[in-house]
Amino acid sequence: MMEAVKVLDAKGMACPMPVVKTKKAIEEIESGEILEVHATDKGAKSDLTAWTNSGGHELVDQTEENDVLKFWIKKS
Amino acid sequence: MENNNTRVAIIAANGGMFDAYKVFNIATAAAASDKEVGIFFTFEGLNLIHKEAHKNLAMPEGKEHFKEGFEKTNVPSISELLEMAQEMGVKMIGCQMTMDVMNLEKDDFVEGIEVGGAASFIEFAKDADISLTF
Repeated sequence: MMEAVKVLDAKGMACPMPVVKTKKAIEEIESGEILEVHATDKGAKSDLTAWTNSGGHELVDQTEENDVLKFWIKKS
Repeated sequence: MENNNTRVAIIAANGGMFDAYKVFNIATAAAASDKEVGIFFTFEGLNLIHKEAHKNLAMPEGKEHFKEGFEKTNVPSISELLEMAQEMGVKMIGCQMTMDVMNLEKDDFVEGIEVGGAASFIEFAKDADISLTF
């Protein structure tokens, strides 16, 4: 898997902050690069997936361990 | 990032803390998803952008016990959400008529808002893909 160029720690944040912070973080990377997001908000699972789709980005991978959701988003 | 030009028009007509969360959560989530967002604040909804009032909005009567839940869940404050919304370019229109009735001036509100009448909102909302009222 491609290496993330940036990691966003959104753990402990409640809706809608994970999405808002992800939006800001993705603006700081280049098209084709990968942003890794860590979140504990259970809603982030569907929210970040929906957000990724709506922005035309690609959800490359997603994991869940010890209540931490991890997302790898490739910028469009 | 692509801008898909989806427009979200929101009317904020109530001024409690829960109302503020409903309005600003949807607005910031939409703005973060590259939607074009505009909010028309009217009547009690003006509390949400009032310089002082927005910092201390009331919980619905009998629901004060949710305060603890808000803290535990680490929900952002209304001030933070308002700031985020403005940073992301959410258009905010304060209702001129309500301001006149309540004897409020533009200076009583947070910076960056516009003041306009219902027609200003309708002009924005006529091309909206999503319209919401809170």
